[in-house]
Amino acid sequence: MARKHVLVGLEIGTTKVSFVAGESRPDGTLKILGIGQTPSRGVRKGEIIDFGTAQKCIHEALVEAETRCSMEIDSVYVGVSGGHIQSFNNRGMVDLPEDRDEIDEEDLQEVQINAREVTIPTQNAFLHTIIQHYYVDGQEGIQNPVGMLGNRLEADFHIIHGIKTRIQNSIRSVKEIPLDVEDVVLNGLATAQVVLDAHQKALGALVIDMGGGTTDYVVYHEGAVKATGVLAVGGDHITNDISMGLRIPIHQAEKVKIEEGSVVLGNALPGETIELKSELGFAGKEVSRETLNTIMHLRVREVFELIMKRIGDDQLIERLSAGVFVTGGCSRIHGLDHLAGEVYGLPVQAAKPRAMSGVTSAIENPELATAIGIVRFAQAMQYDQGQRGATPGMVRRIFSWLSGAGS
Amino acid sequence: MIAYSHETTHSQEATDTKIKIFGIGSAGTTVLDRLVLDGLQRVDLCAIDTDLQNLSGALAQDKIQLGRETTRGLGAGGDPEVGYLAAENEQHVLKENFEDVEVAFILAGLGGGTGSGVAPVVARLAREHCQLVIAVLTLPFEFEGRRRCQQAAQALELIEQFGHAVVCFENDRMGDAILPKAGIAQAFAAADATLSQCVHSMIDFMRKPGLIHVGTENLLAALSDTGSRSVFGYGESDTDNRCNEALARALRNPLLDKGKMLSDARRVLINICGGPSMTLSEVQTIMEEAGRHINDHTQILFGACVDPDFGPKLSVSILSSVSDPPEPLPEVHPMRRRGEPATSQISDESQLFEVPHEERPPREPEPAPEPLEPAEAHEPIAADAGQLQKESAPKQEILQFEPVNRGRFEKSEPTIVDGEDLDVPTFMRKKIKL
Repeated sequence: MARKHVLVGLEIGTTKVSFVAGESRPDGTLKILGIGQTPSRGVRKGEIIDFGTAQKCIHEALVEAETRCSMEIDSVYVGVSGGHIQSFNNRGMVDLPEDRDEIDEEDLQEVQINAREVTIPTQNAFLHTIIQHYYVDGQEGIQNPVGMLGNRLEADFHIIHGIKTRIQNSIRSVKEIPLDVEDVVLNGLATAQVVLDAHQKALGALVIDMGGGTTDYVVYHEGAVKATGVLAVGGDHITNDISMGLRIPIHQAEKVKIEEGSVVLGNALPGETIELKSELGFAGKEVSRETLNTIMHLRVREVFELIMKRIGDDQLIERLSAGVFVTGGCSRIHGLDHLAGEVYGLPVQAAKPRAMSGVTSAIENPELATAIGIVRFAQAMQYDQGQRGATPGMVRRIFSWLSGAGS
Repeated sequence: MIAYSHETTHSQEATDTKIKIFGIGSAGTTVLDRLVLDGLQRVDLCAIDTDLQNLSGALAQDKIQLGRETTRGLGAGGDPEVGYLAAENEQHVLKENFEDVEVAFILAGLGGGTGSGVAPVVARLAREHCQLVIAVLTLPFEFEGRRRCQQAAQALELIEQFGHAVVCFENDRMGDAILPKAGIAQAFAAADATLSQCVHSMIDFMRKPGLIHVGTENLLAALSDTGSRSVFGYGESDTDNRCNEALARALRNPLLDKGKMLSDARRVLINICGGPSMTLSEVQTIMEEAGRHINDHTQILFGACVDPDFGPKLSVSILSSVSDPPEPLPEVHPMRRRGEPATSQISDESQLFEVPHEERPPREPEPAPEPLEPAEAHEPIAADAGQLQKESAPKQEILQFEPVNRGRFEKSEPTIVDGEDLDVPTFMRKKIKL
């Protein structure tokens, strides 16, 4: 009977596959029941490139999650990411019929459909259409216009779309496990749900989730999603840069990145070196600390600057009073928060999933922010649906037709 | 080669090498005849056979009849044992023929009694007496039957132990190079001509006074990829457009697939030979053209020589071994049986063949091909005494269009943002020196 309230999020990341099972409580809180995690293979830049291998990983993680929370998982919410995902803001508008001046649910749907009447590439599909604000007869800042009187309803939406077949690939690989897919969620959006609270969303915040293969970002301001995006650059790129710059094997580069690397320049003593121990197949090497830091600094700085450029609204960034929240595996890199502060000129904190009950190790772990966020997002969706009956306002269920190829 | 009075100086070594070619069995002696007809000079030829009738018709100056008692001059009857025993019993006769020989070529058609039986013995003796042993062999047609193919494979294995280089032609493949309508005599003649041309070119590589000399070490290097098959192409022309025509002919063989076969080769030896009228720009044109068929990693061993006897002619020879053979040499290969000497005149045509070839480590360490100066740097007609022994140089690298390495993302879809490939390390794109 508790089944209904258990929500499972699945993130198929570039470095790991994570299941998080959470119990949604009537008071709106979430209790983490268990997690299942395996290192990921067959995933590059946030997208599956090797079906069989990726499915094996998903299955392993599933078994672990089921063992941890002693229950069977049969449906999940799946996080998606990838460089193909794009977003934009658009306004929709409907005029109410002559004989009616009370706005109802149908009008909300209609304005959303109207907002989506834009050209996106033919191979793309809408992933999320998120309401920002409604306007009733030009009056700004209305959160819920149902029941209000007016002649014209307008609404700003943040619309996220991506290449349909690529999104379907994630769905399909999960369906073949077999697991039911309840819905798909953009990873960055999910992450923001656990990193930010309502207050921070209202103040304005930029969430940067720098993972292995991608960097996802979300801007909230005045409680609404203003910008989202995915940059297919992540920790793997940093490792690759180190490997090429210092001419050391990839796994050595990965190790030195985690153990020694920093993105802050000028911290190394002149001539300071790091000794890499010899291993089977690696003769050992001394590398300059400053060189290492420079390589990492340049890459991370570039990512931050690209995000800023993509958001493309310097004034918006200035107004993000809650600051920048950095999460994902790369947030563990030394000095990342410092560098983000330098680039954005905002207070920065390394974000962790917000307080919730349950398995504490999960909560402490920035790498799990997305998976927990997916559960949180699912919870919000259910709550939303509960409130509005059959018409989800925040997220339009595109899934039914998106999953066509998945079955 | 020819008496050579041009004032161009060439190294002593180029002229002094004593070369002897041993043609074994009917196939081998026929190729020897072909070589004589093609005007090969200053080379000793020695025909070895068990079949007296065949031997008596041979044009070689030295003739050795083996198995006088055992076969009574009637040939080995397709049994390599007979040939082998005959050769073993008459080793002393064979040995006499190796005196002073520096380079021994062994020509044989494998699969029959004499070729498969005698050639390994000759190869062993040659190895004992000579500095360099090169075997040029044919493998039987598949239709000749399983047994002959096996005999050929066994003999090949033995010969490979002794030869510094083994160039091996599959008759089945040579068939591809000949028009299907060609008569059988013509087909065999074309095969002979191919073998003869290959030997001829190799001798030229070693001997012809090169402006840019292709030495023995380059020759061995070009053939040195183990487990691979060799490719040979030759073409000549004397028209106005001779450089392009000669190269096109050299590449024309279907086995070379218009040069595509060369793209996998690690080393390619290209030798250009022409009369005194050969110009630098012709050499350049040929090398540029040939370069298109060869990938950037391939080392090009390049040679050029001027031979007054060539007159207006210009020839291009391409020799290489290609690894990763599309069809590895099967265990069994039929061998060609040749009854009559070839008569037709095909030698002026381009011939290419490919040569499955394997080389065991040579006794002396294989000389690394020396880097050469780029062809452009070289003045073709300059006759400076100091300039003779230039080696062919690796060809100048072509600027790659995507010069930057993407490391582990090499095979993944690039992440292009604002025209920049983000998979390439930032420090490289920003050209920051570490």
